[in-house]
Amino acid sequence: MRFRIFAFVLMAMAIACVPGSKGDVKFQQYYTEGEMLYQQHCANCHQVDGTGLGKLFPPLAKSDYMDNNREAVICLIRYGIKGEVLVNGVSYNQEMKGIPTLTDLEIAEIASYIYNSWGNEEEWVDVLQATKILAACKINE
Amino acid sequence: MITRLMKAMKLHWVKVLFLVLICFTACDKEKALPIFGEREVVGTDTVYHTIAPFQFVDQDSTVVTNATFKDQIYVTDFFFTSCRTICPIMKTQMLRVYQATAEMPDVKILSHTIDPEYDTVALLHDFAKRLGVTDNRWRFVTGVKDSIYKIAQTSYFATAMEDKSEPDGFIHSGAFLLIDKKQRIRGKYDGTKEEEVNKLIADIKKLRREDAL
Repeated sequence: MRFRIFAFVLMAMAIACVPGSKGDVKFQQYYTEGEMLYQQHCANCHQVDGTGLGKLFPPLAKSDYMDNNREAVICLIRYGIKGEVLVNGVSYNQEMKGIPTLTDLEIAEIASYIYNSWGNEEEWVDVLQATKILAACKINE
Repeated sequence: MITRLMKAMKLHWVKVLFLVLICFTACDKEKALPIFGEREVVGTDTVYHTIAPFQFVDQDSTVVTNATFKDQIYVTDFFFTSCRTICPIMKTQMLRVYQATAEMPDVKILSHTIDPEYDTVALLHDFAKRLGVTDNRWRFVTGVKDSIYKIAQTSYFATAMEDKSEPDGFIHSGAFLLIDKKQRIRGKYDGTKEEEVNKLIADIKKLRREDAL
C-alpha cells in the first residue's frame, strides 16, 4: 500500500515535470511573453483574436495549416513565407515578411501562445525545441 | 434683507434663463461639421479649401477623377499592400466603414496606394477581392507616385512619402478623411483607432442629414 502511494506520487511528479505540461510555471511565462510579442508583431494582420482578415491574412485560430505544419510555422515567423497557402480550404497568397530580429526564445514564446489561444490546444514549444527547428529551416529566397 | 433676497432670486432667475437658452440652441440645431483648411472671402462668398484635380486608375482599370465623386460623400486614406505596420489595422477599420455604409449609395471610399510601383492594378484588384470588396463603392487607386504624394500633402493634409529608413520603406499617416459633396474636408480621424472610426461613421450620417436639408 505504502509503495503504491509512493509510486503514485512519483508518477504525478514525473507528469508535472514533463515539458509540455500546461500547469508548468514555465509555460505560463512563455504564454504571457508570447501574448505581448504577438500583439506587437502579429496582431496587426492576424488580429488580436486570431481570426485573420478576409482572404488576405489567414486565421490562426482553428487553422488546419497550423495543426499540420508546426515546424514550418516556427520557421516562417523568422524567415517569412511567399506564395499560395491553403488554410481550412481557403487559398491565401499575400507575402508575409519574416521578423529576423526575433530570438529563438521569442519565437518559442510566440509559438507557445498561438498554439494555445482562441481554442487551439497544442503542445507548447520551449526554447530548445525552437532552436532545433529553426536550425533546420529550409530557407527559400 | 428682503431686497437682498430678491436680488439673489433675480440673479438665480437669470442663470436659469441662460441655461434654458443654451439647451435650446444645442438641442434644436445639430452642430455642423467643421470645414477644414484655409478660406477666402470673395465678394460676399466664402471660398473654402477643396480637393485639387486628380486622375488615378482603380482596381478595375477605371479612370478615377474628381468627377467620379461628383455629388458624393467619400472617405479617403493612403496605404500600401505590403505594409505590415498600421495599414492592416487601417484596412480592418475601413472595412467597417464599407460595411456600415453598404446601404448608402452616395457614400464612397477611395484608398490610394503610396507604393504604385509594387501595387499594380492587378495586385490592387486581387487585394480588394480578398478583402471582401465586391463593388466599386470602394476604389483602390494607383497612379503617378509624385501626384499621389502631392495630393496627399496639399489637398488632404495627410503625410505620405518614401523613407528607406522606415521598416517598410514609407512613412505615412493613418488618417481617414471625410470629404463632402463639395469636395471639402469635413473630418480627420485616426484610422487605427476603433473609437475614432465610430465617430467617422456617425459623422457620415450627420453629413448626409446636412445634405438632406
